[in-house]
Amino acid sequence: MEIIVYGIINSITLSLMALGFTLVYSISRLPNFAHGALYITAGYFTWLFINKFAGFPYPFAIIAALALTSIIGALIYRFILIRVRGMEISEIIASYAIGLAILEGLRWGGLRGMTFTLPTFVTGSFNIMGVSVDYQRIIIVGVGIFIFIVLYLFTHFNRIGLALRGIAQDERAAMMLGIDSDMTAIVSLAIGSGLAGFAGVVLLPLGNIIVEVGYNVLIFAIAVCVVGGLGSWGGTIIASFVIGFAQILTEFFLSSHYQMVVALLAIIIILLIKPSGLFGKQKELEERV
Amino acid sequence: MRNLVCCLILLLTIIFLMPTGSGAQEKPIIIGAPLSTAFLYGWDAERGMKLAAEEINKAGGVTVGGKKRPFAVEVIDTRDLEPGVPVAEALLAVEKLILDKKADFLVGGPIRSEAALAAMDLLNKHKKVSIATTGNLTPAYTKKIAENYEKYKYCFRNSNQVGEMMKEFVTLLEDLRKTHGFNKAYIMVQDVAHARAGGETMQKALTEKGWTVIDMKIYPTGTVDYSVGLIDSGKKGANVLFLWMDMPESAVLLKQWSDMKLKSLPIGFVNAAEQPGFWKAVEGKCEYLIVNLCNGGNAPAKITSWTMKFVEAYKKKWGLEPEGYGTSSSYMAVYQLKAAIEKANSTDSEAVIKALEEIDIMGVYGRMRFDKKTHQIIPSFDPKEGAVTGIIQWQSGKRVQIFPPKVAEGKVLVPPWMK
Repeated sequence: MEIIVYGIINSITLSLMALGFTLVYSISRLPNFAHGALYITAGYFTWLFINKFAGFPYPFAIIAALALTSIIGALIYRFILIRVRGMEISEIIASYAIGLAILEGLRWGGLRGMTFTLPTFVTGSFNIMGVSVDYQRIIIVGVGIFIFIVLYLFTHFNRIGLALRGIAQDERAAMMLGIDSDMTAIVSLAIGSGLAGFAGVVLLPLGNIIVEVGYNVLIFAIAVCVVGGLGSWGGTIIASFVIGFAQILTEFFLSSHYQMVVALLAIIIILLIKPSGLFGKQKELEERV
Repeated sequence: MRNLVCCLILLLTIIFLMPTGSGAQEKPIIIGAPLSTAFLYGWDAERGMKLAAEEINKAGGVTVGGKKRPFAVEVIDTRDLEPGVPVAEALLAVEKLILDKKADFLVGGPIRSEAALAAMDLLNKHKKVSIATTGNLTPAYTKKIAENYEKYKYCFRNSNQVGEMMKEFVTLLEDLRKTHGFNKAYIMVQDVAHARAGGETMQKALTEKGWTVIDMKIYPTGTVDYSVGLIDSGKKGANVLFLWMDMPESAVLLKQWSDMKLKSLPIGFVNAAEQPGFWKAVEGKCEYLIVNLCNGGNAPAKITSWTMKFVEAYKKKWGLEPEGYGTSSSYMAVYQLKAAIEKANSTDSEAVIKALEEIDIMGVYGRMRFDKKTHQIIPSFDPKEGAVTGIIQWQSGKRVQIFPPKVAEGKVLVPPWMK
């Protein structure tokens, strides 16, 4: 029972970490390597709003932090990534450099030590068939499922969401229909950054807001996206469950210190067997040829 | 009249520029501090050192060669605690302190053991005396000194080391066995060399003492879910959770332990839980956690008459209690240097080494004297005999010294759900 309960929690945690990365890549073909930095930034902004602006209620602090993180994401595209758009290596280098600058800037600016934490939404725990689970993790599962549904509805029934999908499917055809490619990329970066931030404010109450977590989140996001297939939403969710359960099974039957190895091993295996990922469309044709 | 005014101005200028004879005007003795300043063990060491230097300078400075010379502290960030930073970075920082900043002595780091061990050859090359005060818990450091005294005689360490910490933990656990009947331990450590070694040593030591060590779980750095291990420990009836972690995510472990209300007492070396702000950070879920702060005085306690004076002075200067490992030892290292320089009446390395080997002072965490062969501070459970550790338990938001018994300010409390 522990395997099922904590397998699901771990899987949804991983998918929350990776959703923003996948969204940006699927729409704009931009690998946003500043993803982990935005995750931490949202947590830090929330902490600032709660602790430095006395009386700022927690929900408003979260909303304000997410709005700011989304704006940062949009600005990153508008002023930096737009200049290297289409040059894949430059996109990676530029976005990674931005992430590095944000994280190390936060560290330099005082985000050090173990005392930067966000309160859990609800404290306490309860038993699910004999397995003790804290409420925050239950909230993570609920919020994760809610986000999947909202994103599905947004991209299938909303004009902006449909435009995003249009660009993702065929950029030239979408542009002929009047969809602005750069504006779409700005929106995708803003939503993707907001999703990274959202994952941050939901997951960070479990631990601390520390710079190193930003790097780890990026690694997990990349692992999930590569295994699922870069740009595939369904693949991201399936890969989260594959890696999430693999990690829990490894801890249960093998040893806990192989958890990180499992995620990285999954990347290697997938790259050897099916480089486009489980559900990746990109380069799939080349692979068949 | 005009001439009189000119003479007065000239006289005042001369008086203003004349050396006053106080320590502040003499050439300072430069203490180089290679520290990983973005981390607790770095910044608290820096604060401890600066506080001591300020106190000494205020009192006139260090008497050497008939003059009163002030201390000046030069800090360089070694970054050796940051992930992925090579040891060479720390060595560059050490060399820069010696060659560029003209450090007369070194105090503090490098903090990571590998870097500290590598720096020993540099200290020999430049003939610079160093007192290691933070991080660097490995017994290999002082073993190297004992094995090749002539080469490594420049190195001293006034803080605790892992072998002694193990002895302290085993003694404490044996006390708990007598008082509470604990006999089953579950070990959870981080996947880094010092923590794995700590876990393995503890596993061996407890087994030899007749304890049942149920399992030892090793977690990669950055783990944010310990539920499988914790549930397993609960199922198998562990009454002690022995932890050895220096990653911030250990806060998650404690939150989960508290939420699950496991019938086990967490004890160990938990870097995250050293700081006074940890209580607020984990919403009080570290209550009952026992942490080894390596040296006394890193949290408020009445170990010697100097301990609380130091704590109060630290609070006045930095606005918070001493935060954790590295604070009291770095503070005391500056005083030890002062005593040795004054005893040697020189800043010459050879003379200061000899003096450091001979000085015997009552410090913040007990009697402070170095072993002549290993240059390790002599430890003891009695502050009158040697340097004592600071093992604290989180009780109602405070870090209460609970070990060694001679300086304990409170008894070990167990969670109500364990009764």
